[in-house]
Amino acid sequence: MFRFRCRSLGFRFHAFSRLLVVGGAISYRALFNWTTPPMFIGTLLVGPLLQVFFFVFLGRELGVADDRFHLVGNAVLAASASCVYGGTMAVANERRYGTLGAVLLSPRHRVPLWLGRALPYVLNGLFVSAFVLTAAALVLGLPVSAGALPGLGLVLLVAAGACSAFGLALGALGLRFRDVFLVSNVASSVLLLLTGAAVPRGTLPGWMRTAGDLLPLTHAADAARGLTAGGGLDGRLLGAELAVGAGWGLLAVVLLAAFERGSRRRATLDTM
Amino acid sequence: MLAIEADTLRRTYTSRTGWPRSRRTETEAVRGVTFEVKPGELFGLLGPNGAGKTTTIKMLNTLLLPTSGTARVFGHDVARDPVAVRRRIGYVFGGDRGLYDRLSALDNLRYFAELYGVAARDQKRRIAELLDLVGLVGREKERVEGYSRGMRQRLHIARGLLHHPDVLFLDEPSIGVDPVAARDLRRTVADLAAAGTTVLLTTHYMAEADELCDRIAVIAGGRIRALGTPGSLKSRVGDRDVLDIEAYGAGDEVIDRVRRVPGVRGASVEDRGAVQTVSVQTDRGAELHAPVLAAFDGVRLGRVVSREPSLEDAYIAIVEEAAGSAAPEGVPA
Repeated sequence: MFRFRCRSLGFRFHAFSRLLVVGGAISYRALFNWTTPPMFIGTLLVGPLLQVFFFVFLGRELGVADDRFHLVGNAVLAASASCVYGGTMAVANERRYGTLGAVLLSPRHRVPLWLGRALPYVLNGLFVSAFVLTAAALVLGLPVSAGALPGLGLVLLVAAGACSAFGLALGALGLRFRDVFLVSNVASSVLLLLTGAAVPRGTLPGWMRTAGDLLPLTHAADAARGLTAGGGLDGRLLGAELAVGAGWGLLAVVLLAAFERGSRRRATLDTM
Repeated sequence: MLAIEADTLRRTYTSRTGWPRSRRTETEAVRGVTFEVKPGELFGLLGPNGAGKTTTIKMLNTLLLPTSGTARVFGHDVARDPVAVRRRIGYVFGGDRGLYDRLSALDNLRYFAELYGVAARDQKRRIAELLDLVGLVGREKERVEGYSRGMRQRLHIARGLLHHPDVLFLDEPSIGVDPVAARDLRRTVADLAAAGTTVLLTTHYMAEADELCDRIAVIAGGRIRALGTPGSLKSRVGDRDVLDIEAYGAGDEVIDRVRRVPGVRGASVEDRGAVQTVSVQTDRGAELHAPVLAAFDGVRLGRVVSREPSLEDAYIAIVEEAAGSAAPEGVPA
């Protein structure tokens, strides 16, 4: 009996993992618009790198903050393009292909189904941030000690995870509203302004700082700056980023479930 | 146990228009539909556009909640136990959409195999079987965006069958498919039913329904207007003769004139480019050639053929009868 239960649990875990990992990977190829090399390089690598240069040179000119502030902050922020838009595409593009009905007819549990869709964007965001940080540091001559690299990797991973959860929550709105990419555009600007990745938070009004505390990337940007400056990994900041990511992830799952239920009641999905 | 039970199913859609003072409009798409389908039966649901066919299917497959009434699939309530229903059903819909264009057919099937809970060790074999069944072997690694409509339709069917569903909903599967592909599709559907799969088919092609279905329900205005075997439906117009008349430029006033000829029970028009085929149903043995042709005064006519009534004639008679007694669709609330 015990052995049967263990085998059953093992089978369920295997099926759960496959939906999360294999399903997530296939859905990334199916739904992410920027997988072709020109789009990937142009949109996710070159664009954010130029944004780093823009803010660094502007910061030098205006004397708002030093190179490290802008370089590291914008490198962390670079993950947002793939995470926010990717998370949105992971749900909203189902409408574009007319596949939403076929997906919602799945008898599988929705948590691995939807979280699996966010997973590739975590890795994508991590890669983009790491690339932008490395390239910008080499070009602008910012020294980063080798000892800081593991911590930096962890911070960027958590930041990308939190940002992907944020993107998935925005994508959930795609089950209810048609023009959800409008929300993504606004959300990207909100991240640029409120997270302190590109603009020093000390210059913002109190309510904006409070809003920034609840957004992904805010705490990760501060943690990454501390690491590149030679400080240790700030566990409090990392924990705050993790908590923010978990909160957005939970909200995404709740919204997806609520909108799916609502769609059956109100017929709000153009599912077929 | 019955495969499908629908008991006085109703579905009302609510829409709002205008801003800032919006106006709420309610439309009753399905108004008390009741029918049963036995395991292994191939059941047809026929009706004009907007009759409520797709809404009925969406309630049966759990995508929509009924406003009232109940439905069960192999005993599982579609509203209260949707996951159990989803495990037992497959859904195939017609048209170009519903597949991931950037992926190959193989990857589309791999993904849906994960979604529909096909065990990892069975996926490869099952996908190979289905590719063979729908004739896509050799093309499975090509991106779907390059597929013809017929190939897409076959892929839709393969997807719907991935998890060996007991009930297969086919919503206009042959729409826009060429005659050869449609024939292959009918053969596939017939084979599935022969193998014990319960099939609920909606289609606009009467010949397809006549060839395939064990029983047919005709739905119009959200209500079932007739239900029976193709033979029993045809017998409803067994007291009629049909004249098929080729005409060039017969307007509505001409068709109305034809309908007013004593002994004419109904008339329908099918446009085929420049030529129209006007099917006129008359009382059996009434010999109305002369007065019917006279009603086409001024219209150039081609071939005139007298024939036995078909399922299409029965369908048209049922739908026209329903249209005559239809209530307004939109009810402002």
